[in-house]
Amino acid sequence: MFTLWIWLCNASDDHRVTQSSVILVLVVVTALAFDFTNGFHDTANAMATTIATKALKPRTAVALSGLLNLVGAFLSVEVALTVTNAVVKIQNPDGTPQAALTADGGSALLLIVLAGLVGGIVWNLLTWLLGLPSSSSHALFGGLIGATVAGLGWAGVNWTGNGSKLDGVVGKVLLPAVLSPVIAGLVAAVGTWVIFKIVAGLFTERSFKWGQIGSASLVSLAHGTNDAQKTMGVITLALIASGHWTSVTSIPLWVKIACAVAIALGTYLGGWRIIRTLGKGLVEIAPPQGMAAQSSSAAVILASSHLGFALSTTHVATGSILGSGVGRPGAHVRWRVAGRMGAAWLITLPAAGLVGAAMWWIGDLLGGGLSGALAVFVLLVAAAGAMYWRSRLLPVGHHNVNEDWSAAAVPEPDAPDPVPASVASEKVRLP
Amino acid sequence: MNNLGFALEGAWKVLLAGLVLGAGLPLLFALGIRSLAYGAGGDASSATGRPAHPVGTVVAWILFVVVLLGVALGITFIVASGFGKELSFEHIFPTIVDK
Repeated sequence: MFTLWIWLCNASDDHRVTQSSVILVLVVVTALAFDFTNGFHDTANAMATTIATKALKPRTAVALSGLLNLVGAFLSVEVALTVTNAVVKIQNPDGTPQAALTADGGSALLLIVLAGLVGGIVWNLLTWLLGLPSSSSHALFGGLIGATVAGLGWAGVNWTGNGSKLDGVVGKVLLPAVLSPVIAGLVAAVGTWVIFKIVAGLFTERSFKWGQIGSASLVSLAHGTNDAQKTMGVITLALIASGHWTSVTSIPLWVKIACAVAIALGTYLGGWRIIRTLGKGLVEIAPPQGMAAQSSSAAVILASSHLGFALSTTHVATGSILGSGVGRPGAHVRWRVAGRMGAAWLITLPAAGLVGAAMWWIGDLLGGGLSGALAVFVLLVAAAGAMYWRSRLLPVGHHNVNEDWSAAAVPEPDAPDPVPASVASEKVRLP
Repeated sequence: MNNLGFALEGAWKVLLAGLVLGAGLPLLFALGIRSLAYGAGGDASSATGRPAHPVGTVVAWILFVVVLLGVALGITFIVASGFGKELSFEHIFPTIVDK
């Protein structure tokens, strides 16, 4: 942050921090906050099964995942600045912001980006509070779509692309979201089934430890390269819009470092509520299942990005874990938990979009300038603080992440409240 | 072609690659473990001390090496795409090319 400050002071000719520079700082801080939530929201994707099967101790697992996310983020040498183009029309095809939005220090674009980021963060925090895995990219896209609709109207959204390639909200968000759990689930189910066939009768559960750790590490590394990039792209877009950066082929080094550190710290913090749901809530995971699920996640994530059909890590990881439950003979899948996740995925886009739109309207109502941006930022801090406070009522951490799912000692994803006895007895009866 | 067409075309390719790598490599790993147990003699569930089969151990390690090569391929892909390159399977053997 200090580097940024110095850099901004040097950037403004008169050594006076202008209004738009303060808005820019708010956008950068909010983007890094999003990156941080992106990290802890997705720790579960790589490490939930590894933690549930005790292949790694909870704290070792999040430390390894955080480290690999850091390495992965620095591996993103070629960062695409066109990250928002998949869903909204605020950038030109080459990554520069649209000229109509860059007047007045780019405040029109900065407000859309800020409101969109807030939409993404609020949704990430809410789903974390409820212990539900949901895609951070979809939350970000949802927020941006909402803010864009509010700011530029429905025509500002890239719904279906131009038909020449997979593009738009339909092609980049909706279709992948439907297909990815199916693909990953199938792969994991087949993998689990053959593994149990082959090793039937052997007491070899420990042998799968290394397979699990290896595949979970691959997922972490891939996550670092894919997800930190998005925030790097968003921050650089804001810098270009406000006239603090011009290149569309490179990004400032401090942006890369800040994003890498933010996502790694987030991952290291560990979204324990989500880890618990994915590791203990969906299915009881044995080491061979864990390995099958993580291998499926790693293979599907890497294959999809190689083949240009990018899938959300969260959807793939969840599908894989479900599949590992389906593929194991006699295993029990808690479809009610899966159903809640499915419902959360369905409303990710509209919910984050509503928050994004509301934030834009509030910001715009206050003039769209510094006061508007400040109000949006304060609202974000208040919402985040409230949800954090709520989470402390029944904390989930490395100490209780692996407790029995049906025990009422730790919250069910749909009930972070301390549950009254009558409700609790109903919960225990859950299969 | 519309988005649905593109998506389905991408989906079956990802499914195929996912099955080969995501289920195939765990399959080899499991075979390796089975083979290792065979090599060590007995099948771990019985302590009757059947004779050891060194060939089982050798096969097991060959299988583990194949799995490790698969993991190395994954890491190479991640690193290459970070540097704006991609893997080409044009010559069957993966090579790194410009995107």
